[in-house]
Amino acid sequence: MKKYYLIRIITLTLFLMCSFSCSSDLNFDQANDLKLTPVIEGNLSYFDIPAPSFVADDGSEYNFASDAQNFDVFRDKYFNSYLQRADFHFEITNTIQRAFAASIVLLDVNDNPLYTINFDVPAYAGTANIVTKTEIFQGAKLTMLKNSRKMKFLIAMKPGTALNKNSTGSFKLRSSATVYLSI
Amino acid sequence: MRKGILFLLVFISVSCFSQNKQILYNLTSVPQSLMMNPGADFKYRFYFGVPLLSGTSFKVGSTGFSVYDLFANDGVDFNQKLRNVVYSTNRNDHAAINEQIEIFNGGIKLGDWLEDKGYLSFGMYQEFDLFAYMPKDLAILALDGNQNYIGKSFNLGDLSMKSEVVSVLHVGYHKNISEKLIVGARAKIYFSGFNATTTRNSGSIITTTNPNTTVYNQEINSNMSLNTSGISKYTKDNYDGDVATDVRKQLLFGGDMGLGFDAGFTYYPKDNIQITGSILDVGFISHSKDVENFTWKGYYKYVGTNPNFSGTNDPNSVYDDFKEAIPLDTLHNKYTTLRPIKLNASYKYSFGTSSEEDCVCTATEKRYKNAVGAQFFMMSTPRLPITALTGFYQRNFSDKLQLKATYTLDSYSYTNIGLGFSANLGAFNMYFMADNLLEYRDVSKANSLSFQFGFNFIFKDSNEPPYRN
Repeated sequence: MKKYYLIRIITLTLFLMCSFSCSSDLNFDQANDLKLTPVIEGNLSYFDIPAPSFVADDGSEYNFASDAQNFDVFRDKYFNSYLQRADFHFEITNTIQRAFAASIVLLDVNDNPLYTINFDVPAYAGTANIVTKTEIFQGAKLTMLKNSRKMKFLIAMKPGTALNKNSTGSFKLRSSATVYLSI
Repeated sequence: MRKGILFLLVFISVSCFSQNKQILYNLTSVPQSLMMNPGADFKYRFYFGVPLLSGTSFKVGSTGFSVYDLFANDGVDFNQKLRNVVYSTNRNDHAAINEQIEIFNGGIKLGDWLEDKGYLSFGMYQEFDLFAYMPKDLAILALDGNQNYIGKSFNLGDLSMKSEVVSVLHVGYHKNISEKLIVGARAKIYFSGFNATTTRNSGSIITTTNPNTTVYNQEINSNMSLNTSGISKYTKDNYDGDVATDVRKQLLFGGDMGLGFDAGFTYYPKDNIQITGSILDVGFISHSKDVENFTWKGYYKYVGTNPNFSGTNDPNSVYDDFKEAIPLDTLHNKYTTLRPIKLNASYKYSFGTSSEEDCVCTATEKRYKNAVGAQFFMMSTPRLPITALTGFYQRNFSDKLQLKATYTLDSYSYTNIGLGFSANLGAFNMYFMADNLLEYRDVSKANSLSFQFGFNFIFKDSNEPPYRN
């Protein structure tokens, strides 16, 4: 009979072990609270125009330059819905002996302007002029950003010392974006 | 996307362990020990398992974190807990689930009682496997983005996981080739219910500062792929069947097949010293039906939206460029997966001859009451193999009852104490084993738990050679 007795003890022990085992208070519903909030740094745009580019072959000056670029990351519906805030950081370095007025215009799908960012850049006079600007898009301004499909760059050269093919310096823009997402 | 991440998370959080069955291994009063070593010293006239209940094992394990770490009801924000888990683990921390259910099994001694023509064993079991490494870099990128990680290269190879359901039909044979040596082997046919494998990923996402031109150098170099078979029909929008039933159907008919084998031995250099070894699941499955391969391969350098003021209308668009540079492709190429190979080895020293005459053993039988020993386990994974070392004590209370206690060191814990018993009531045999007993104080904090149980009918070999347990 001893063996049955042993089996009984073991079964009982295992049973007791299982019933006395416990678990801390868990709440699996917490998984619903999952919210990913990555902050992403990325390039926004860059150009560097050397001074001679403002001079035509016949020696006359181009006083105005523009270029529209597709700016369509918001076409992605996921990215569009996750975007909470975007900060655009601009840095313009002018080493040309002329002052500039530059603007960046956000255009919607029909090429209508939605928002304009203006820069007033003084002429170079021995030390590099660095103009910085940060634009924060939130709320209504963010909605506008989400609707933009193109980014138009406008540069107007203000009157001043004439440039020629041997003029030095350049007009440089570097910009980056900090994007706040909530997924 | 959010759903996908949640799914991944639940997968990882639920998951936990390797397939080390340290208590069952070499416990030769249980027929299922033959599944751990086809050359186990298990003798019988014939045996059969109670269908569906002959052998069930379940194992979950995770290194680096527990369910409690993520889901404790302690008022701490879930996202914070998730962050803590992600930052406290490393890319080699992993989670695994393994579940096996025997559908049927049986065995018979070949030849009559005087002959020794060896023993045949056969059966079928179903197995579910999941193994996932902590995708640390990707998790950091998803949680916090790259803002605080300028200069860090995020490793896309951190994503490594696989999951599958297979049915295994097997036939094994073991024989005493001498008084001291038993060898055995088992042939296996695998039927794959489904398989998803993404273990060969590489690539990086890196952002570094650039003092001259664009603000950042941003590059994505991706070589990622996910192979699936037997899944695509369930993910279709118009699927309205029952997944469980269909997977079961697929397990035998219409699924993919593979072949493999186990081999093992038991050797007695002395009467009371036993050495065993086995290698399991050396095999492959060829996936050719209902195959989908998703690849995301390419290189993209992101420079932003850069005007050139050339006056020409530039159709260039960042969004399209990116999609072209690193396209998400769906292919239908067949692929082969290898089964995780398992190695087992043990050394056992037996002592203390039984004085108990309660048993019905014959007078000539010499049997030992106690045994101590060590076992070694190793399993292949997509990266470094998992290893475990076990010390054990085994006690035969009588012919009817064996107890085995184990202490195991592995990557999951250093305090893994396991206990199991096998009991015979006439021809009826039952066994129950569980490990990580200390963790039962609070299962939610356990890094791993496993148990095995089963019911069999064993009819003893009437011509048993001297008992050596």
